[in-house]
Amino acid sequence: MKPEGPLKLVGEVRDLQIIDSDGVHCGIADDVECRGAPGKELVLNALLVGPGAYQHRLPKWAYALITFLFGDRLVKVPWSEVSHVTGHITLKNPGASYGLVQTERRFEAIVKKVPFA
Amino acid sequence: MSNILEITLGIMTAMGGFVDVSELVFTAQAGAKFLYALIWVIVLGTIIIMVFGEMSGRVAAIAKQPVFNLMRQRLGLKFGILVLIAATIVNLITCAAEIGGIAIVLQLGVGIPYRLAACLATIGLILVVWLLPFKAIERIFGLLGLFMISFMVSAAALHPPWNEVVSGLVPQIPAHVSGAELLTFGYFIVAIISAVVFPYETYFYSSGAVEEHWSKKDLAINRVTTIVGFALGSLLAISILINAAVLFAPRHIDPQMVGTPALQVAVPFGTTGLILALLGMFFAIAGAAIETCLCCAYGVSQFFGWQWGRYQPPSAAPRFTLFWLATFVIANLIVLTGIDPLNLVEYAVVSSIIVIPFSYLPLLLIANDRKYMGSQVNGQYANILGIGSYAIVVIAAIAAVPLYLLSSGGQQ
Repeated sequence: MKPEGPLKLVGEVRDLQIIDSDGVHCGIADDVECRGAPGKELVLNALLVGPGAYQHRLPKWAYALITFLFGDRLVKVPWSEVSHVTGHITLKNPGASYGLVQTERRFEAIVKKVPFA
Repeated sequence: MSNILEITLGIMTAMGGFVDVSELVFTAQAGAKFLYALIWVIVLGTIIIMVFGEMSGRVAAIAKQPVFNLMRQRLGLKFGILVLIAATIVNLITCAAEIGGIAIVLQLGVGIPYRLAACLATIGLILVVWLLPFKAIERIFGLLGLFMISFMVSAAALHPPWNEVVSGLVPQIPAHVSGAELLTFGYFIVAIISAVVFPYETYFYSSGAVEEHWSKKDLAINRVTTIVGFALGSLLAISILINAAVLFAPRHIDPQMVGTPALQVAVPFGTTGLILALLGMFFAIAGAAIETCLCCAYGVSQFFGWQWGRYQPPSAAPRFTLFWLATFVIANLIVLTGIDPLNLVEYAVVSSIIVIPFSYLPLLLIANDRKYMGSQVNGQYANILGIGSYAIVVIAAIAAVPLYLLSSGGQQ
């Protein structure tokens, strides 16, 4: 599926795994952002990635639990950066260029200190 | 030739990895309490795990989606997160039960104290998962779990009444079972189905298929492994039940300890038999401990879209790595509280059957979605088997807690 083709936003984009151009898992399309105005075309603007996007999708207690455990980061990936959509969303560039793998890199530095990591 | 080798290894791995601590406990108790009357339940559970195992492997190979990706996508964030929490707790309890089981086997085999054995086992398991890639872990523990074949040899050597064994394949409620014992019988039906169909098996299998980059060409291996491998594995579970019926039932022994099934091989084959049985139990349970622990990390990583898998060094999937490390540590701490591993096994079995329907529903849905599966979408027979199996696990899930409470955990 091409990003400019017909897509069901809830069924075929939201909650899909995002993979960057290097094949690295960069999170989930936790929500989508659209832009438009009354009488104008509604355009898919960006993918919202990170626990910060759960605010309007989860009950308060669950949102509090998730953000307590995993933080409330929210990264916007422009829809124009999506290469194609299949069982997952593939990006045109490495995830780091969108700020997507920062947490992973932080933990990587910790794990790398252990021998044979 | 390499395909034949691959299939053979796959079958042997599935067979050796089939039995875990819950099957050891419940099939031995089932044989001791109800002789051969519950063999059909093992067969039924095996058919269910074959159906969903094959489906999860096929979905992983074609749609490249492991179970928790599907769960998030098909159940939605709100409901999916509840299932994720429940599945993670179930896997953690199961992992603790497996570590407790290893500790008991080490205690029996080497004579070291239980808590020290649990700590040593946990350290050993952490080192294995840290140092070895996925395929090596799967193969080593699956193949060494084949020491469990000693239980099959023992079943043949004990000369059970084969006509009664065969009649156990027919679904039945024995005529002499009534009243409170009927509740216990019902509880054992649910517990055995749960023990055979443990959700971690599907999570692990489908994650493994994604880790090994399965594609359409691996579908034959998937089918043969799940059907032949699991069928042979279930023969091990049936052997444990048969041995218990021959050895324990006439002596009114209720195998209440995780280590008791080892005696099934020790009676006909002496010390050698005992050593083989303990080795088989050790590797089978250790393999299951690794699988359950990794499944905790697979689940959370897949649900939140983190980098995951043991096909890469630990530092390449750091959050996944820290999560499985934490799981091992917490599971060990649970064991160190002194809680009886048998209770852990019971909690794991009862809680896992409740999680199973929510894990299998997204699988069933996507396996029927032609958009993702193309020509490999579920056919008529796969759907009949899938929906039938799903109905059985739903009924078992609804009945699990009432039967557990009413039968006092099968002790009536």
